[in-house]
Amino acid sequence: MNDFSELENDLKALRPARPSPVLFERIEEAMAENCRASVSDAGSMAKWRWRFTETPYRIGFGLVAAAAAVVLLLARINTHQTRDKDKEIAQVSPASQTRPVLPAFSGRSDVDGSMSSSKFVPAGATQVVYNTRNEGLQFADGSRQPLRRLRYQTQQTWQWRNPSTGASLRVSYPSEEVVLIPVSGQ
Amino acid sequence: MDYIASHEDWKSCFSEIGPGLLLFARQWTRSAADAEDIVQEAFVKFWRRNHKINNRALLYATVRSIALDFIRRDKRRARREATVFAGSDPTVEPQFEWEDEAQSALAAAVSCLPQDQREVLVLKIWNELTFSEIAGALGISQNTAASRYRYALAHLKKSLQPQ
Repeated sequence: MNDFSELENDLKALRPARPSPVLFERIEEAMAENCRASVSDAGSMAKWRWRFTETPYRIGFGLVAAAAAVVLLLARINTHQTRDKDKEIAQVSPASQTRPVLPAFSGRSDVDGSMSSSKFVPAGATQVVYNTRNEGLQFADGSRQPLRRLRYQTQQTWQWRNPSTGASLRVSYPSEEVVLIPVSGQ
Repeated sequence: MDYIASHEDWKSCFSEIGPGLLLFARQWTRSAADAEDIVQEAFVKFWRRNHKINNRALLYATVRSIALDFIRRDKRRARREATVFAGSDPTVEPQFEWEDEAQSALAAAVSCLPQDQREVLVLKIWNELTFSEIAGALGISQNTAASRYRYALAHLKKSLQPQ
């Protein structure tokens, strides 16, 4: 290799042409695009994570949970109210039919028994929410706080049962509920 | 914001190795513009994949691979370059910044080297790769790389001797 050392030095002294400044600019542009792509990739991943874990979904889940709680609360209140009414209705309507007859059976010893046998007691109530519609935000009169308007379409079913006769009464009807939930902005 | 740091890194890195890379790419192209296209694509690809810049064999292998793809893409160019690869009449000249007639003659002699010897010489002299790295970049053994280098020097020495 010593034979070639002088030649190698001559070759090393020969400098290759430098790249044009345009090449630097083009590479810089390509690198910038690369960085943007990386950032957008990272951003899309972050967005993906954000979509499933962050605020809007939390709000959404919160809204759904709040709505469910409201629906359950309303259902319970309705159930209690209806139970009271139904007690009256259940007592009144059969009684109204039987009372005129009662005098005919007044001498009988089982009159009280027939009165008690005509009683219907609440046996169950169900409320099935089969559709929930978000009708958007709205502002109540004079209020600056937005409210989200949720419409629940439900099927309510009430049941009564006569423990002595085993007869049952069942009423089922569709209903709609509109719930306004305050929205807290971030 | 790591990319800003690497953004600055590539500039210093490319300033250092850019001329050698371009010279290496020019072996397969007839114009500096084509060579620059190849270098740009290879360098950005290499950098994008976060390879260590110390892995020079991979960088030059990338340049070579893209250069060969570049030739294949253009059939007319491929036919032209096929004649070059035959080694009979090399028409691709590496570009040098020569200062005198001696350097001009040396540059002309380098351009007349057989292609397999010239690419080893370019990698060894102007890109300062070891024979191990050259072997990795060209897909040959170290011994082959070393022998091609010796043949190239011998060829040059012979061609530069006064007739």
